Amino acid sequence: MRNDKTIPRIAIGALTLIMSGAAYAEPVEVQWWHAMNGVNGERVEELAKKFNESNDQYRVVAVNKGNYDEVINSTIAAYRAKRPPHIVQIYERGFMTMLLSDAIVPVQDLMDKTGHKVDWSDFIKPVAGFYSYKGKLAAMPFNSSSPILFYNKDQFQKAGFDKPAETWGEFDKQLYAIKKSGAAECGTALATDYHWSLIENYSAINDQPYATKANGYNGLDTEFVYNKTLVVPQVARLKKWLDDGVLQIAGQGFSPEQLFTSGKCATYFASTAAHSGIERNSKIAWSATFLPWEEGVQPKNSTIGGAALWVIKGHKPEEEKAIAAFFDYLAKPETQLWWHKATGYVPLTNKAYEMAKFEGYYKESPTREIAIQQLNRGTPTDNSLGFHFGNFTQSMFAQREEVEALFAGKKDAQQAMDDAVKRGNEVLRQYERLNKGKY
Amino acid sequence: MVATTHEPGLKHAHFQTAGLPALLLLPQLLILLFFFFIPSIRALMQAFLLTDPFGASVHFVWFDNFTALFASDSYRNSIWVTIWFTLAQNVVTIAVALVLAFATDRVVRFQSGYKSVILLPYAIAPVIAGVMWAFLFNPAVGPIAFFIKALGFQWDPNRNGSDAMLLVVLAASWKHICYDYIFLVAGLLAVPRSLMEAAAVDGAGPIRRFSQIALPLLGPTLFFLTTMNFVYGFFETFAIIDAVTRGGPAGATNILVYKVYQDGFVNLDLGSSAAQSVLLMTFALLLTLLQFKYVERKVNYSI
Repeated sequence: MRNDKTIPRIAIGALTLIMSGAAYAEPVEVQWWHAMNGVNGERVEELAKKFNESNDQYRVVAVNKGNYDEVINSTIAAYRAKRPPHIVQIYERGFMTMLLSDAIVPVQDLMDKTGHKVDWSDFIKPVAGFYSYKGKLAAMPFNSSSPILFYNKDQFQKAGFDKPAETWGEFDKQLYAIKKSGAAECGTALATDYHWSLIENYSAINDQPYATKANGYNGLDTEFVYNKTLVVPQVARLKKWLDDGVLQIAGQGFSPEQLFTSGKCATYFASTAAHSGIERNSKIAWSATFLPWEEGVQPKNSTIGGAALWVIKGHKPEEEKAIAAFFDYLAKPETQLWWHKATGYVPLTNKAYEMAKFEGYYKESPTREIAIQQLNRGTPTDNSLGFHFGNFTQSMFAQREEVEALFAGKKDAQQAMDDAVKRGNEVLRQYERLNKGKY
Repeated sequence: MVATTHEPGLKHAHFQTAGLPALLLLPQLLILLFFFFIPSIRALMQAFLLTDPFGASVHFVWFDNFTALFASDSYRNSIWVTIWFTLAQNVVTIAVALVLAFATDRVVRFQSGYKSVILLPYAIAPVIAGVMWAFLFNPAVGPIAFFIKALGFQWDPNRNGSDAMLLVVLAASWKHICYDYIFLVAGLLAVPRSLMEAAAVDGAGPIRRFSQIALPLLGPTLFFLTTMNFVYGFFETFAIIDAVTRGGPAGATNILVYKVYQDGFVNLDLGSSAAQSVLLMTFALLLTLLQFKYVERKVNYSI
C-alpha cells in the first residue's frame, strides 16, 4: 500500500522543487487529502477552486484518497514515510487517534501563530465542543452532520398519519400500521451507519449514559455502560422489526438509501448530508423530521458526525500560512452558507446560520434546518456532549458484530450488548495503556 | 524421483564459476528482499509491539498480541471459518472443474468455443465478481434470491451466517474454477488415447473410463491444484469477501486474511494485525508442508 505511492510522490516532490526554483512567484501549494466522493466530491473540488481563484499567493490541491478509512490509512503511511500532506480530512471517530498522535498542529495554535483572527465563539456549540481539547480547537470543523428521519409522505398519508410520531412507542405502531395497510412493503431501511443514528444518537437524545467519564470527555479511563441502559430494549426492538419484516437490511452490493428512494420502505434514518443524494435520486414525495425519543423523556441534542480538517505538523512556515489562509476562507459565513446549501451539511457558524434564515432558505427547504435545530436543542448534558473514545472505530466494530449476532438469533439483546461492552472496554484499556498521561 | 540423478550434471555443465549464476539470480533476490523479506521481518517485529498508528508511542509487549488473539472468540471463530471456507471452496472448485474438463474432452465440435466461455470468469476483477454475486443473491432485490425464496427456502445472507458462507464459497469457486479447468484440460490431453480406446473396446463406459483411467493419471495435476486452491482460499479471496459480506454477519465469513485487513487497516490495531499475519503465514506453511509430506506420497507421477 505504501510502496505504490512513493514514486508518484517523489516525482511530484521533484517537480515542485524544480518549479519553485524556476519561478519564485508561483503560489505556495498545499496538499489536501479528502474522502468526499460523488456529488460532495465535486463540491470539494469546487471549494478548492474558489479559494485558489480568490487569491494568487496560495494554492490548495484537493486529492481524493478514497473513503474515510482509506484517508486515515494513507495519512498514517505518508506520515511514517515522512511525506505527509498538509491538510487531511478525518472522520469524527478518529478524533482521539489524531489528537494524541503527536502528528498534528492544533488548528487554533496555527491560526494564532500566523496572525489570523477567527471568532471561534461563533462556531455552533456541538461542533466546537466536539473538536475542542482543553478549551482550544484541535481541528478545523469542516463537514458536520447529524442523523435525521426521512419519510415518505404519501405512504404515511395512505396509512392515515400526517407524519412520523415524536416518540418511539407511537412511531413503532405507525410502522406496523403502514406495513399492515400495504402502504409500503417495509417500515424502515437499515442504514449502513445505523449504530450512529439508532444507538449512539439514541443514547444522547434520551440522555442515557453511553460510557463513564462523560462519554470519555473526562479521561481515558472511561468504560462503556450502554449494556445497562435503554440501548438494550432499543436493539431488541430492531430485532423484532427485522423478524416482523418491518425493518429491511439492504445488504452488500445494494444501497439502503435506494430502498427508501424507490418507495419500498417508508422511512430512513440517515445523515442530513443524505439530502443531496435523496434530492437527486428520488421520485417519491419525501420529507424529514427529528429523530424520535422515548415517551416521558425531555429530548436532548443529537451529536455530530462527519469530519474535520487536521493540520499535519512539520511543514514550512509559508505553507502553514497558506493553510491558515485557506481555513480563514473556510470560516467565512459566505463560504459556510454556500457549502451548507450545496451539500446538506450543517452551517458551522452562527453567522452563516443567521444568513440562511434571513435569506428565507429554510422556508423553501425546511428539512435543511432540522439537523441544526436538533443539534442545538436544550443544554447538553454529560450524556449528549458527544463521544470521545480512543480507537472508537474498533469498539464500534465490535458492537456491530454483536448486533449482527443478535439479528442472526445467536444471542439475545442483553447478551449481545454485554459482550459488545466487554469487547469495547478491552479496546479502551489498550488505548489507555498506550496513551497514559497524555490526555 | 528420477530427476535427481541428472541434477549434478546439469549444474556442472552450465556454470563454471559462481559469479555468473549469482549475477543472474540477483534481480530476483533483490525483489524478494524488498517485497518479501523486509516486510516479513517488519511484520514479525510489529507483532511484539503495541503502538499507536502514527508511531508516537511504542511499547514492547512480548507475546501479549498473540495471547490476546488466542483468548479472543472472534479469532478462534475466524480460524474455523477459514478452514471450512477453504475446504468447501476446494471441493466445489475441483469437482466442477473436473466435470467441465472431462465434458470438454468429449465434445468434438466448438471445443474452443466452450473453453473460452468457461475461461471468461477469470478475466473479471474479483471485486466486480463479488459485487455481482452479492447483488444476484440479495434478498431484497436479487433475481436469484427471489427464485430461491419462490422455491420455499429461507434465504438471507445478511442475517444468516451459513447462507453468507454458502454465498462466498460459491462466488470464490466460480472465480477459480477456470484456473483449475485449464490445468485439468491439459492433464486430460496428456492421458494416452490408446489407453482410453482400449478400455472402450473392452466395454468400459465413460464414467468408468474417467474414474479408473483418467482420474489416477490426473493425480499430480490434482495435487498441484489442491495446493494452489488452498493458497487461493487463504490469501486471494480477500476482495470477494470484502465485496460480498465484509466478513459478516457476526463474523460468519471473516476469514483470517480478511481479519488481518479489518483489524490493521480499518480498526488500526497494528500489533494484533501483525501478529495475525505471522500466524497466517505459519498456518499456510504448515499446511503446505503437511500436503507435501502426506498427500504427495499418494500421487503417482509416472505415466
